[in-house]
Amino acid sequence: MNWAKLTQIDRRIIFITVGLAILIPLIFPIRMPVGTQRVTKHLFQAVEEIDPQEQVLLLSCDYAPQTEAENQPMTVAVLRHCFARRLPVLINALYVEGAPLLDLAMHQVMDEFNAHAKANADSILYGRDVVYLGWQPPPIVPILSMGRSIKGIYPVDYYLTPMDSLPLMTGVHNYDQVGLVLAITPLASPLWYVMYARTKFGVKVGAGCTAVCAPDFYPYCRSGQLLGMMAGMKGAAEYEELVENEYHPGGRRRATEGMASQSAAHLLMMFFVIIGNIAYFSTRRKS
Amino acid sequence: MTLGDTIWIWIGALLTFAMLSFLYKDNPLYRFGEHLFVGVSNGWSLAFMYSRVIKPVMIQPFGEACRIAGHEGLKPELFNPVAHANFLVIIPGLIGCLYFTRFITGMTWLVRIPIGIFMGYYAGLAVPATFEGSVFPQMKDTIITRGYFAGTPTGSLWAGICALIILVGVLGTLTYFYFSKEHKGPLQWGSRVGIVFVMIGFGASFGFTVMARVSLAIGRFAFLLHDWLRVIS
Repeated sequence: MNWAKLTQIDRRIIFITVGLAILIPLIFPIRMPVGTQRVTKHLFQAVEEIDPQEQVLLLSCDYAPQTEAENQPMTVAVLRHCFARRLPVLINALYVEGAPLLDLAMHQVMDEFNAHAKANADSILYGRDVVYLGWQPPPIVPILSMGRSIKGIYPVDYYLTPMDSLPLMTGVHNYDQVGLVLAITPLASPLWYVMYARTKFGVKVGAGCTAVCAPDFYPYCRSGQLLGMMAGMKGAAEYEELVENEYHPGGRRRATEGMASQSAAHLLMMFFVIIGNIAYFSTRRKS
Repeated sequence: MTLGDTIWIWIGALLTFAMLSFLYKDNPLYRFGEHLFVGVSNGWSLAFMYSRVIKPVMIQPFGEACRIAGHEGLKPELFNPVAHANFLVIIPGLIGCLYFTRFITGMTWLVRIPIGIFMGYYAGLAVPATFEGSVFPQMKDTIITRGYFAGTPTGSLWAGICALIILVGVLGTLTYFYFSKEHKGPLQWGSRVGIVFVMIGFGASFGFTVMARVSLAIGRFAFLLHDWLRVIS
């Protein structure tokens, strides 16, 4: 076999094959089993353990459209989990470009739940069950300031409504009323919360991160500084499945949809890596 | 779905193709999409920053203080940094404006003032926080106790073996990056162990990076098939 030719394959052929490996399972869906990692289970459990009568969940997001595919399904899955448990949620954006994405996610999940609601008590209402705090720069400032006063750093919400007029905010003052901060990010914001908010104010922290960041966060999960983590689209799919199996909220599960394509693309990449190595060593021996 | 939604989906789909066209080769369509993204991002950030930060945090309190001073004269409350209407908010605003002096010949040295304040603030915050929140807890986590092996709810033989592997990996990697002495004898063995862990770390990072990039491609293809072509439900 002429291995030398394999080392000279046009990169565009590789792009097309990877594209097909992603495209075909999306058009002809194959149901892939989604095994759940321990870190994802721990995160789910941490959200389960928050008492909705006493505390809220702070969903802190700093992703932009570039990583929407990985991070947005995480936000949607966590919001479904919280709304299914009637756990109040505060949302804040640490990155300006992602602020509208959180608005979209919040309204999508609110609409999903309110479509089945029969009475006011069953509905998810803005101001009572969820508040979007908005965006304040730079990230460290809101992270630290919320330890003293959430209303101090966010006097108005994302829609410029004064905080004092929102019923949920009457009982929420600072991190004392926050059961868990869940930082969804393509950056290092979970570590900022660990270093600044957890160390100084003792708040519990979890993470939902892009796969690129995941290796950096595993040591913090092991040390218990992060209670759990969703790692990349796979982590989002695991969380979607955990929420669906426990509460059956329904709705589109975008990360789970992508798992067959993810597996196909990974198998193809492994094939390319093996073939590439064989070709490299064969041509080196000949030369 | 409204006509407005449909138009935006078409724009999104066409821009997706413009960006993917780079995989074939660099072309004007790709550059148009790239510049559009940079422009829209900057425009959005600037407008949002002005309306949500500069205006409510600086312009409105300062304007309100000027209005009160005009009607009632200068009062000590107008210099209270906690009050809504106060003159002091203009000070950080003016210091921030010094960033623009780098464009004025002969005054560029003034830019050092905001940079110095910014660096001092962040260094002061980050150094103790990094030690307290990252270095010390991670070092503590490498200490092997009997609890890792048994006797606690999380303890097991496997957990103990993992803790040992982590300890060996940390020591080996630190040895590999110890450059003050030639790697001979025990140091050589330590660094050889270290390089194995470093390579495994690189492999894991590469694997996760592939996973991330494939996820982004899935996101775009799913958008095209679900929102644009509607061939998947």
